[in-house]
This record gives sequence, structure tokens and C-alpha cells, in this order.
Amino acid sequence: MNLSNACRGSRLAGAALIAALAATPGTARAQARPTATPPEMVAAYEALADTILGANKTEVKLVHSILAATYAHARAELGRARDALKAGDAASAKAATENVAAAVGQIGTEGDNAVAGIRKRLLEGGHHANAEGEAQGIYDDGYVVVTKVAKQAFLDSSKAIAMLARDPKADALDAEWKKVEAAWAKHITAAR
Amino acid sequence: MAAVAAATGSARPDAPEGPPASPPRGRFHFIDAAPRLGLTRVLEAGRPAKDHLLDSAGAGAAFLDYDQDGRLDIYLGNGWRLDGETVAVRGQHALYRQRTDGTFEDVTDAAGVGGNGDWGSGVAVADYDNDGRADILVTSFGRNALFRNLGDGRFEDVAGKLGIEAPGWNTGASFFDADGDGWLDLYIARYVDCTLDDVLKAKRTLWWRGLERVAFGPFGLKGAPDRFFRNVKGRFVEATDEAGLKDLALGFGFAARAADFDDDGLPDLYVANDSDPNYLYRNVGAGRFKEIGVTSSAAFDANGAAQASMGVAAGDVDGDSVLDLFVTNFSEDFSSLYKGMGQAFFEDVSRPTGVGPATFRPLSWGTAMADLDNDGDLDLVVANGHIYPQIDAHPELIGTYRQRNLLLENRSLRDDVPPGAPPETLFRDVTAAAGPGFEIVRSHRGVAVGDYDNDGRLDILVTALDSPPELLHNEGAAGAWLIVVCAIPGGPAIPIGAKVTVTAGGRTMTRDVASGDSYLSSHDPRAHFGLGKAERADEVVVRWPDGTRSVRKDVAARQVLVVRKDVAGAVPTTAPATRR
Repeated sequence: MNLSNACRGSRLAGAALIAALAATPGTARAQARPTATPPEMVAAYEALADTILGANKTEVKLVHSILAATYAHARAELGRARDALKAGDAASAKAATENVAAAVGQIGTEGDNAVAGIRKRLLEGGHHANAEGEAQGIYDDGYVVVTKVAKQAFLDSSKAIAMLARDPKADALDAEWKKVEAAWAKHITAAR
Repeated sequence: MAAVAAATGSARPDAPEGPPASPPRGRFHFIDAAPRLGLTRVLEAGRPAKDHLLDSAGAGAAFLDYDQDGRLDIYLGNGWRLDGETVAVRGQHALYRQRTDGTFEDVTDAAGVGGNGDWGSGVAVADYDNDGRADILVTSFGRNALFRNLGDGRFEDVAGKLGIEAPGWNTGASFFDADGDGWLDLYIARYVDCTLDDVLKAKRTLWWRGLERVAFGPFGLKGAPDRFFRNVKGRFVEATDEAGLKDLALGFGFAARAADFDDDGLPDLYVANDSDPNYLYRNVGAGRFKEIGVTSSAAFDANGAAQASMGVAAGDVDGDSVLDLFVTNFSEDFSSLYKGMGQAFFEDVSRPTGVGPATFRPLSWGTAMADLDNDGDLDLVVANGHIYPQIDAHPELIGTYRQRNLLLENRSLRDDVPPGAPPETLFRDVTAAAGPGFEIVRSHRGVAVGDYDNDGRLDILVTALDSPPELLHNEGAAGAWLIVVCAIPGGPAIPIGAKVTVTAGGRTMTRDVASGDSYLSSHDPRAHFGLGKAERADEVVVRWPDGTRSVRKDVAARQVLVVRKDVAGAVPTTAPATRR
């Protein structure tokens, strides 16, 4: 989010106003004292608001994209696991199943540790995508799309799939994946 | 530690006189022996009002036998005292040597381990250079210090020379051999990225329940990245990224514990983060790691929530030979007991075991899994103390700033329960019956456990803010015991990564040798086992870090048993001339 232009405009308008007031004689200044916020400042603030709200929407879309990419990755790894199981390649099946588990876990945590680092940076700056939802206990701090309920569902599936990786079986994997699909449809697709 | 007597009997004859005779002790009975034994160093902790989180972080402690006389010595980290924005006292760390009469002598100055003037935090003990002597790492807010043991009672700070000063807010550290080359590598957790100016000028700006202004953070502050240093024949090389240990989420790291959680012979690493998901790094070989905290279910609590984790302990609390984890957390939240399910999978069992409800109210820090009544199972000790002195104005809400420590008895072996008694949780809060040592209310932080008087009963060393340490002498009516010292002739003083398994009385018990644990602290590196009513152990097995084993059969209880590794298994050293 680049707010520098908007902020610069706001600062310039403020400076111009202060300069104009300073140049007005005392009596005249009292008579002409503005009772409303100067239009230039209002316009600048409007522009800034557009930028902030636009950035918030962009953030939601970006997080949805991250989740979608992660989900796609999980599906791809699921396919690899199935193929490996059919081929009797236990090692590859195990590795792919672990990757499925990791990806599903990352959906639950709304991204991996690298994303968590960014989320933390935003929190440092006082940005809460769902401040009201956090206050109501619906979202973890800084989470944008994934609710606590959704998080728990994906974490449970992640763990279950990770445990399956010890000795992957196609039927069990499919059954667990159905839970992931259901959670995805309920919590992520529906949130768009 | 190899110089420990092979058999010391049930009590040392030259132990100092205890308190006057009293009625028979219960299962747990602890008395603070610190003042009597000379442990008087006040551990400084910022300003009284704790305006910054650093003011309330505290420092840790360690048991070690630096002079190899068979008696445990004590090391304490120390912080600073502030007066507003002014540094009033730069606290000196302390090394206490245990005399033959069981009292302690302050040898800090003579040993040269008082510190570099920086604000001390964590203490980890290890023989990083494989010269057969225990060295001391003190992490700091500022520069870390690594005191190399010169073998003549003196130490030399080599942190700068070895490249591990790592300025910043360093906290819990763990030495372990990540790559199996025989040299101990070093992981240092780090907390918040801030400057001394930030600390000195801090104002209490966070509203606590709309009632009091308290120290701000850690939410809203930037985490400091943890660091990993690979030990290359006694020199440290930064290898955080290369090893796969990059702290991508910038978690507020407080504690690190290395252990072989998946039992594949390679040490893994658990990192407790305050208010962030905890990390579990699986060792995938060749000294490289993969972070699996989420899939292992050790990153969050049972509700999928990140907790404000402070300290950590690892051990087998339920006797299934799989390592479990215990993580201490903030007040009004459970401290979490994670049952090991094998292959580095965990399940949060805090509620059904009784641990969660017992730990809900206090703010918890240092901890240990230790068999404090020698009955054969691991109990939990938890150091407590809040970070906001301001809560004392409203004690009815969540208690007070100064808090009692907790002792949770493991009830795996319920030999005092009559037949037909109703089922109970695995852990039971026995604090109220644990003697005057557990009545002390302070803002406690670090915990280190060790048998300082070699009587077979584990004692507890506790640090607290703005206070001298407590040494809780164990005077309970304990069962039989066995302490196993793992010794590698010509090798490191402490064979970190060794695993000791004792079979006795129909039970198999396991301990691992570690450095860096609890909160900012290090325990007695000797493996302690309670044997209950068994007066002999059927078998003692030591699995050495290189995977080889030593076995002793039919071992008598109530002794300090030294198990020496086959000389052929000696590890490399930089200083062969000084080996024992």
C-alpha cells in the first residue's frame, strides 16, 4: 500500500492553509475564520480514504489468492500421492502426503511463516483487517479471511493427513480430503 | 561430571545441618535453602513499575559442575536496575561454587564470569569446544557472553572471538549437535527488536482492562529473528538460513529445547514463542531442518490458538517411551501439555490431564519435568509471576504480581490410592502440601532442577525479579533413586544428545541429556531416575549421540552411576592436551 502521494498532498494542503491564515490581519482573520474543514483537506482525505479502503479490498483479494494457490498446491500433491500409491511408491506417497498436510495447515494459518511475518508487520503498524471480528473472537489477530472456526477445521485435517503420511492409504486419504473440500467450500469459497 | 563419586549413598555425610527435627514429611516437602547456603545475589530487573517488557523478562539459572568435584555449582544470569531513564545498576552474573560442606561460595570475580556489562538473560551450559570442561553461555539484551572454562577455576569470554555476540534481545539458547559432527551447534531464540533507547524511554501505554497503564507489547512490536550458529571445530558460523531455521514469522522467541522428538536418532528443535505459533523443527539430516509445528500439532493449543509461550520442558510423562512437551503460558490461559504420539506428532492433553485447569490463573515461566518424589514418573514444577505490578491494585481479578510456584504431581503411579477410588486426572496440584518452599510469592522466572546435595532427591533452583534466587531443598519422603552420569573419556564434559533408559520395578524410564531448557535455564545434566520401591535397576542403557550404546545390568539403587563410553567412541577436540 503506497500512501506517500496521498499523504504528501495532504501535507501540502495543510501547509498552504496555515500560510494563508498567517498572512491575514488579526481582525480580518477573526471575521473570515473558516468554520468548516478546508475543502482541499477534505478532498485529500477522501483520496486517502479511497486508497486505504482500496488497499483493504486488495488485501482481501490477495489473501484469497494465497489461499487458492495453497489449495491448488494441496490438490496437486494429493494427486501425486494418489499416483505414488497406485505405483506402489511408498516413499513418494509419504512425501506427497506430508506436503498435502503442510498445505492444508497453511490454509488454516492463512499462509506460511513468511506470510505470518507480514501479518505481524501489519499488526505492528496497527492494521487489523477484521478488528471487529477479532474483538468478537471470530478471527485471530491479523487474519483476513480465515476465521477461528475455519482455522480449527483445517488444522484438524492437516494433522489427520500428516498422521496418514506415516502409512498412506488411498481410501483414508480421500476421506480426509473430502473434509478439506467441505471446509474449503464452507469457509473460504463462501467468504468471497 | 565424570569425577562424581561412583556411589555416594543416600545422603552425603558432610551435608550441612538441616532445620530442626520435625514431624514426618509428606511426599513433597521443599524448603528454601538459598539464604542459609549463601545464595544471596539479587537479580536486577529494570524499574519497579516494569515500564518495558525487558524490565519483566528476568534472567535464568543453571546447575553445573564447572570444577568437576562432583558437587553441583550454580550460575545465575543478571539484568540491570533502572531508575527512570537512567541505568542505576548493571547487575553482575554470579557463579557460586559449592563447598564441601554444601554451602556456596561466590567465586564470580575470581572466575571472571561476572559478564561484559550487558543485560543478562538466558544461561546454557555445554562443552562447546570438547575439552572436557563445562562452558557457560549467557544470552543478553546486548551482546552474548560465552565463558570458556580454562580448567583452573577461571573462564574467558570468547563470544566476540567466536562470532556469537549477536547483539539484540537474545533469550533462550540450546546447544545440540545438529549435524552429527561431534561439535555442539547453537540455537538462540530472540524476542523483540528494540534498542536500549526504546527500553530506557519506554512509557506504559497499554491499557490493561481499562484500569491500569502497563508495559506495551509484545503485540505491536517487531519480533527479533532467532539465530543458529554451526560449530565448526570450536568456531561458530552463522547458518540460520542454510540450516532451514530462518525465523520467517519473526516469532517472539523465549525458549528453545532440542530433543529427538521423532526418535530417529537426530536432534530436533522446539521453540516456544510468546503470542505466536511455536516452532517444531524436524531434523531431516545433514544438519538441516524443516518446520513442522502446525502439522505436528505442537504450534497451537487444542483450540488452534497461538499462546503466549514462555518456557518449555520435554520428557515422557505418561511412561509410553515417547517424548511429551510441556509449554508454560500467560495467565488466564492453560499451560499446554502435548502428549507425544510418536514420529513428532503431538496432541494437546492439557484439559484431560488436569494440567490446564491447574495452570490457568498464574502467569507461568520456567518449568521442569522431574521426578520430585522418586516414584518413577515425572512431575511438573512451574515458576509463576506476573509482568504487570499494576495488577496488585485489583487482586480480585487475576491475582497478584507476585505469585506462588506450582507443583503438579504426576499420578501415573498411584500407589497411595485405595482400590476402587474414583478416577482422577494424570496430574494433581499438590502445591499447598509441598512445604514452605512453595509458599514463597515472588515474580518468579527461571527454573533449573538438580540434585545439588547428591541425596537422590531433586532440588529446584528458581530465579525471580528483583530478588535473590531460591534453592528449594527437597526434603520429601522420596523413594529409591538412581543418577546416571554419562561420560565420554577424552570427550565433552556433557554428552548432550545422549539418551538414558532405565528399567526398574517393571517400568522403563527415559531421560535425555540437554542444554538449554525451561525458561532461560539449564538443568543438572545428570540423568535422574526415581525408582519407587525398587532397590535395583534391571538395566541401564545409554544411547550415545553417535548411536552406539552402553548397557549396565542389575544396578543397585541409591547411587550416582557413571557410565563411560567405549574410548573408541571419543569425539574430536581442539585441546587434546587438556583432556581428562
